[in-house]
Amino acid sequence: MIRATLLFSCILVLGHQLKAQKVIARQGHVAFFSYTPVENIKAENNQVLGIVDLETGEIAVSMLMNAFIFEKALMREHFNESYVESDIYPKATFEGMVLDFDADLSQDQTRIIKGNFSMHGVTQEIEIKAKIGHRDENYIISGTFDAVVKDYEIKIPPLLAGNIAKTVSVDFRFECLPYED
Amino acid sequence: MRIREFSILLLLMLGANSIMAQKGLLDILEEEQEEGPQYAMATFKATRITFGHSIETRKKGILEVSAVNRFWNTPSLTSQSFGADKLNTRIALEYGISDRLSTGFGGSTWDGLFDGYLKYRLVRQRNDKEGSPVSVTLFQNGSYYSEGLSVPNVDDNFSSRLSTTTQLLIARKFNSSFSLQMAPTLVHKGFRFSGEDPTNHLALGFGGRYKLGGHVSFVSEYYAVFNPVESYDTYGPFSIGVNWELGDVMLQFMLTNASHIVEDAYIAGTRYNFNFKNPNLNFGFNATYVIHFNRKLKGLEQKRKSQD
Repeated sequence: MIRATLLFSCILVLGHQLKAQKVIARQGHVAFFSYTPVENIKAENNQVLGIVDLETGEIAVSMLMNAFIFEKALMREHFNESYVESDIYPKATFEGMVLDFDADLSQDQTRIIKGNFSMHGVTQEIEIKAKIGHRDENYIISGTFDAVVKDYEIKIPPLLAGNIAKTVSVDFRFECLPYED
Repeated sequence: MRIREFSILLLLMLGANSIMAQKGLLDILEEEQEEGPQYAMATFKATRITFGHSIETRKKGILEVSAVNRFWNTPSLTSQSFGADKLNTRIALEYGISDRLSTGFGGSTWDGLFDGYLKYRLVRQRNDKEGSPVSVTLFQNGSYYSEGLSVPNVDDNFSSRLSTTTQLLIARKFNSSFSLQMAPTLVHKGFRFSGEDPTNHLALGFGGRYKLGGHVSFVSEYYAVFNPVESYDTYGPFSIGVNWELGDVMLQFMLTNASHIVEDAYIAGTRYNFNFKNPNLNFGFNATYVIHFNRKLKGLEQKRKSQD
């Protein structure tokens, strides 16, 4: 009886641990681009955190807004001070699901990621097409999506409307390694 | 007995496990977030609050081209009464040598002063609980008075035409919209019009900004001089104004009683009080254009392409 309980408990505990398997990217890359005839603005952040639950396909991303580096030093100040107000809203986060995610598939898979993206205090439901590669225990998730600046209540003064695109293209790439608690 | 103990342990373990599993992914990321020191950004929008320097310096490789103007009327009957009888303009180039050290050179038209300065950001305010609660910047300038002198008994040589200003700029950004600055100041005057005038003036400057919107802030400044010039009346320079940031251009509008633009001249030598009588009221307009020589991320797009 004791032996049976022991075995049963071992299976249960192990099963739980397998179920909780996650992969994490600590130096995820997110870049955004705004193209207008007046000015092209590029910025990148190489310290974005991303985590995927391999069992459920749940995914979460978190980035510090003031970690974005711009081509021009003053743009970073303006971005944080005048546009995204990173004093008040320091982070942008994404929480969602990879639809039809197959963690065991060894070749690249293109999947839709659906979820809520929060920035500047506004949460929007978005769908992103992403490429997911699987090398050994690592997963590489990359893709592009467009964000409409107006949707996040980021105010652009009329005089500067020509300098900043209405839709900003966002690139991301996460190299996820196995995560241990 | 043993079985019961064991099953309790088992239940506890399972409970702990399921609690851990319930922890959301974002919570895990919250724990993983490594935040470096968070320095207060943009305590003031420009290197000047209105007429006086702010703690801000420009980053490495930034050149600022600025035209600083003061317009005022003369009290004479022939005044054009349009606020622009007289004009003082300082044209200047200011450059960020490193992220903390910057320098600038300029010349003013009305008072014939040529000036240069060095500014060093000694301490940066940190927003997290650690570190300094204030930012401190050291400021040192020197100015050369180039106008002809018709005053007797003044030793007129190069060094006696030099004046210097030393400032310790201390500022705190209290929240995203409100910042205050204090500036203990020592002004050394190269020559005096009268023997009773002090060579060194001590002053304390106060400045503040309140952000009205993302791009516009309300600013004000005042310098109290503790040992003013004796041989003629002087007043502490005061200003109220608006800073308006437009991408690479910074516009500063102000009402002030200071006609001078160089530190030693306006701190120790402002002859008019602040009121609406001519020639006391000056309209000031600073226009600064920012050029970035040091462009980071220049090859970002190419790098991105080759990565895929």
